[in-house]
Amino acid sequence: MGHILITGADGYLGRQVAARLLRDTDDRLTLTVRTADPGRRAALADLLDDRRVDVVPADVRDADPFAAVDAAGVTTIVHAAAVTAFNVDAPTALAVNVEGTAKVAAFARRCPRLTRLLALSTLFAAGRRTGTVTETRHDDTAGFVNHYEWSKWAAERRLLTEADAAGLPLTVARLATIVAEDGTGTVGQYNAFHNTLKLFCYGLLSLMPGDPKTPLYLATAEFTARGLAHLARPDVPSGIYHLAPAPEEAAPLGELVDLAFDVFERDPGFRRRRLLRPAFCDIDGFRDLVEGTRGFGASPMRQALDSVSPFAEQMFLAKDFDSTRLRTAWPAAPATDTRRLVEATCTHLVTTRFGRRAP
Amino acid sequence: MTDVYVDNFVYALGERKLHVTESEAQGLLLSSAADLMAAGFEWHHRCEPDTTAYDLAVTTANQLVRGPLDGVDAIVYATCLPHNANVGSAEEWRRTRDVKHLMDFPASRLQADLGLDGSVVIGLNQQACTAMLGSVRVAGALLGAEPDWQRVLCLTADRFPDGARYEQSYNLISDGAAACVVSRQPAAFRVLTAHQITNGGLSDASDDETVGSYFSYVARLVRETLDRAHLAPGDVDWVVPQNTHRKTWDILSRIVGIGAERVWMPSLPDAGHVISADNVVNLASLVESGRLRRGQRVLLLMAGFGLNWQSLILEATGDAAMPASGRGSQPDHGARELAERSVT
Ligand SMILES: NC(=O)c1ccc[n+]([C@@H]2O[C@H](COP(=O)([O-])OP(=O)(O)OC[C@H]3O[C@@H](n4cnc5c(N)ncnc54)[C@H](OP(=O)(O)O)[C@@H]3O)[C@@H](O)[C@H]2O)c1
Repeated sequence: MGHILITGADGYLGRQVAARLLRDTDDRLTLTVRTADPGRRAALADLLDDRRVDVVPADVRDADPFAAVDAAGVTTIVHAAAVTAFNVDAPTALAVNVEGTAKVAAFARRCPRLTRLLALSTLFAAGRRTGTVTETRHDDTAGFVNHYEWSKWAAERRLLTEADAAGLPLTVARLATIVAEDGTGTVGQYNAFHNTLKLFCYGLLSLMPGDPKTPLYLATAEFTARGLAHLARPDVPSGIYHLAPAPEEAAPLGELVDLAFDVFERDPGFRRRRLLRPAFCDIDGFRDLVEGTRGFGASPMRQALDSVSPFAEQMFLAKDFDSTRLRTAWPAAPATDTRRLVEATCTHLVTTRFGRRAP
Repeated sequence: MTDVYVDNFVYALGERKLHVTESEAQGLLLSSAADLMAAGFEWHHRCEPDTTAYDLAVTTANQLVRGPLDGVDAIVYATCLPHNANVGSAEEWRRTRDVKHLMDFPASRLQADLGLDGSVVIGLNQQACTAMLGSVRVAGALLGAEPDWQRVLCLTADRFPDGARYEQSYNLISDGAAACVVSRQPAAFRVLTAHQITNGGLSDASDDETVGSYFSYVARLVRETLDRAHLAPGDVDWVVPQNTHRKTWDILSRIVGIGAERVWMPSLPDAGHVISADNVVNLASLVESGRLRRGQRVLLLMAGFGLNWQSLILEATGDAAMPASGRGSQPDHGARELAERSVT
């Protein structure tokens, strides 16, 4: 029997991966969480019913966050803890995402039975590069759109260096943007994707920064958690994977915006308002809008723009994420129908008024 | 379509010129003065307590009284606020409960006060800030429909009621009036096309929604206006928009393909958003600048409270453009006395 340690276990993906590993393995699970706040434990209630599960507080900013965990028995580490906001400031991104990850690697070195260190990264660790992006380590020459991206890239670099030096069984899973729990389109966690659609749906934004042709790589939590559970297995080769739809499954931004409006327009309330589909603007135009609305205080528009602006530039930077390695290592990887996923997700968003009412 | 022309662009502003910081101190704004200044606003004009929108109208029309108004066949009198389309006394209405005090129409008064005996009047008061452009469109249609008519006076006049905030949708507001004359005879500008979009579905839009929908609707307005005139963005020499955030046209010019250097709104810091009169204030300044050349095309655009969008494309003919009396002025109490005398 193995012993799996999951960091960020009360986060969105942490919980999903933990549930899947409990289902798929006989292993013991140690869930590490930033805060032992009892209120937060509620999020883990389902998992804690299982006697194989224990919870350990571990803030990765602490000097030795995993001191309370017995390294001797740990066979697998899934590192999901991170600050995931696109507008995270540089010091926080450095402290949590980069140095925190280095502490996870240091702990991994103390685990003699370790068969897999699985780190969750993002496709955006590719930063500003365009064109085909391969499942290999990136340099930072292209630069990054925000501190989040940079920190995920820097975390990868630290891990890969550590793994080389210490022979760690490291797998880096670069994830696509998760927009729904599964094919039903139910939204489990709201992010910049949903916030942008909300701005359009409520008529607060009529400009879309980006090139309509830029492909979007979107996934479900189910696909991602299944993939992570697979990549955590000791018999699957370590290395870098794009845990994402294949390039031919991605869909262009312009088409997805149109699809979202097709769904919004099925709602009589939306139709009555005759909101137009957004005009695509260049990045300078969008920056002018963001700067121009800076004086709008805490208005809904201002808040919404704040959530969109940190990643806007990526909408101009077309990338094709090659996932040949993933599909070789995980032949059963399910296909993604991006258009159907976006349609189902938008339907859920409209039906629940963006999470404000029950479906 | 009948060829129609337009010129004699004149306007009047509220007589109290205040710096945005003064208005902030008086609690007349929602945004901070600093934020409005960052947006390009600095000064605005408010009417004195006893100056009415009608006084602004008279002051404006008086600049045209000898000459352009002779033989005017119709007056299209436009207000943004429906409230400014009645000069009756609220007090008298309350005292007498006689609805005649709710329909004391400024257009009729103007006809009498200026002695425009042969003219008929038409009121426009549901087009918000686009009403001035709307009045030119209506005037053109009237000239098309009435073969004997030669000239139509278009006039817009608004002041905010006492106690109102002087900020709408993040714009600093001035009280003001503007006028022009639409005629069958060749004049400074030929009207190439007029266009309007209405979206009643946004009638309850918040300020944020008004701003939010602004870009896509203005982009659509420009596209459709150019299509109507069979023109391309490159055929437009000048854009004369409403006074709004200084960044707006940096963004829009790239979307609609008309360079920002062709956008003319120099009155933004001095006048702010003069309700329906911005296009006239800015066009008068373009004419005065001497930069306008014969044959150049000018696109005038206005968004009205998130509900209406209107535009005109004018072509400069090179003929005399300005009335002898000059461009803008402020209401003088002579005008007001004239109005009051005529009533008593
Ligand atoms: N969800 C996606 O669409 C997506 C896409 C690409 C990549 N990813 C990657 O997937 C991983 C998980 O993302 P997620 O969506 O599950 O994010 P999430 O819901 O925000 O979860 C992040 C978790 O990390 C924890 N954490 C934050 N700061 C910490 C600290 N100082 N010490 C210990 N734990 C800390 C959080 O705890 P608190 O809440 O208590 O702070 C939370 O439990 C991240 O590495 C992210 O970059 C996610």
